Amino acid sequence: MIAEKKKKWKRARLLILLSVVALLNLFPLVWLLDYSLLSNSDFYGDSIMKLPAPPLWSNYFSAIVDGKFFNYLLNSLFITGITIAVVITLSICLGYALIRMKWKGSRFVYTLLITGIMIPIHTTLLPNFFAFQAYGILNTRIALILPYIAFSMSLGLFIMSGFIEGIPRSLEEAAVMDGCGVLRIIKNVVIPLSKPAAVTVATMTFFNCWNEFIMAATYTSSDTIRTLPFAVMNFSGKYTSNYTVQFAVMFLSTVPAIIIFILFNKQMTKGIIAGAIKE
Amino acid sequence: MSKVLSNKKMIALLVLPGIIIFCLVILVPIFMSVFYSVTDYNGIDAMKFVGLTNYKKLIMDDKIMWLSIRNVFILSAGLIIIQHPLSIVCAIYVDKAGGVWEKIFRVLIFIPSMTSVVVTAKLWMNMLDPTFGLVNKILKAVGLTSWCQAWMTETTTALIAIVLIEIWVGFGWSMLIYYAGVKGIPADQIDAARIDGAADGHLITKIILPQLKPIIRINITLAIVNALKMMETVYLTTNGAPGNATQFVANYLYVKAFSDQKYGYANAISVVFIVICLIANFITKQITAERGEK
Repeated sequence: MIAEKKKKWKRARLLILLSVVALLNLFPLVWLLDYSLLSNSDFYGDSIMKLPAPPLWSNYFSAIVDGKFFNYLLNSLFITGITIAVVITLSICLGYALIRMKWKGSRFVYTLLITGIMIPIHTTLLPNFFAFQAYGILNTRIALILPYIAFSMSLGLFIMSGFIEGIPRSLEEAAVMDGCGVLRIIKNVVIPLSKPAAVTVATMTFFNCWNEFIMAATYTSSDTIRTLPFAVMNFSGKYTSNYTVQFAVMFLSTVPAIIIFILFNKQMTKGIIAGAIKE
Repeated sequence: MSKVLSNKKMIALLVLPGIIIFCLVILVPIFMSVFYSVTDYNGIDAMKFVGLTNYKKLIMDDKIMWLSIRNVFILSAGLIIIQHPLSIVCAIYVDKAGGVWEKIFRVLIFIPSMTSVVVTAKLWMNMLDPTFGLVNKILKAVGLTSWCQAWMTETTTALIAIVLIEIWVGFGWSMLIYYAGVKGIPADQIDAARIDGAADGHLITKIILPQLKPIIRINITLAIVNALKMMETVYLTTNGAPGNATQFVANYLYVKAFSDQKYGYANAISVVFIVICLIANFITKQITAERGEK
């Protein structure tokens, strides 16, 4: 009985401790949420936190309407979605051709592409700015999607090729016996077996693109094509001294990512771990 | 089989799109950087070949560059010494929670890491605001009014603030990676130690930490990589100020390129930066491989 009680108490202590840690960790965001429902004069006041009674929902109304929240959200979904789809496709194609197919130079191309993981995006900002200007794609969605693909592809290839190496050759041999070509092998053997790797690649690509700031700030200027982080940038330019309305936009712009993370929690947690360890 | 796998047309079809994108966005820009770095290009005047002048100036005379590199070291140290121990302990406790609670805490602790850098930077600028910021309000409330200050404009506190922001932003990532490590330790080893009556502290230092070694190495590598690539938080908060006390390599490069329009010089920084990253990667790989053989 006593041991049982002691165990229960120990568990309660653990949960309380974790709650404190989580609360401390989330406190800045809780503070942000709190003040996003208050009036601007409250921000200038002395209180640390204040019960929003009644909550000032009009801040969120301004955030959605004046902040063109859905415009930015759709851009983010579109650009991230396309990038993830292309990165997965390219890493499967490259992975198969570089790991399994026999040709001179495959080793060299593989090493070259993998080196991309180590190149910091910042070193390409200036030359790419000139290059994109020359191609005439500055301030278009392509100017975002293209570098996003390039910088996620190296890690994607690395993760995918590790996985493709582990596929038993006998499966492919059987497919060839049945008269399959390379494309059918990829479609019938590689793709069905590499779903876990695809989840990892998708997760890492999502994190690379969804909140990406500096490339978007450098290569684009018009708000009709920019992504969610710019909802905040653009809005804080318009409402310079109205802090609590800005807070509403800031909080709102983090909500989609949190929802996506909760919806795909299991896959994304696995993806983060596998991706980070591979890196 | 081998006939199918050496089909040249097929190989080209599979490989070329990826190679073209890689060349267009990563390889060609690097060559362009190398080319511009030996010129005095500024976008307006005619370009002149200046040899290695930019590199010489950058390595021999540029105090700001060395300050930026120092700050990269300070940030890596901050992440490794402060963030990692906290996230290891947190990971152990999250794992211990079990069931639904484990999942809930895993999500809650990771949420700040999902927030965009624009939000975290603006949020902390507001929290550290000298007049209306949360931090000074809290200090006033507990009677430490004399501690209140303009955090982001003082040389030391600004750098500390930036390191703390990064510790907070990356906490979820490092916790989750350590958590995976803790999950990988066979449960029977922990149970056996428990039955032997090992105390919690003993359990952590004798059983858990030695098994976490490979994960610790990965996380340290990631901390160094992240410190090297540090840019957006600085750009959106202090932009290197006061003076260049909070300058970081990537941000310095950006300032030189897009504010000062010294394209030649900025490209020299780019090239040196790439070399630093490749060397850092090589060294960490070397260390990892050496230890891995043991």
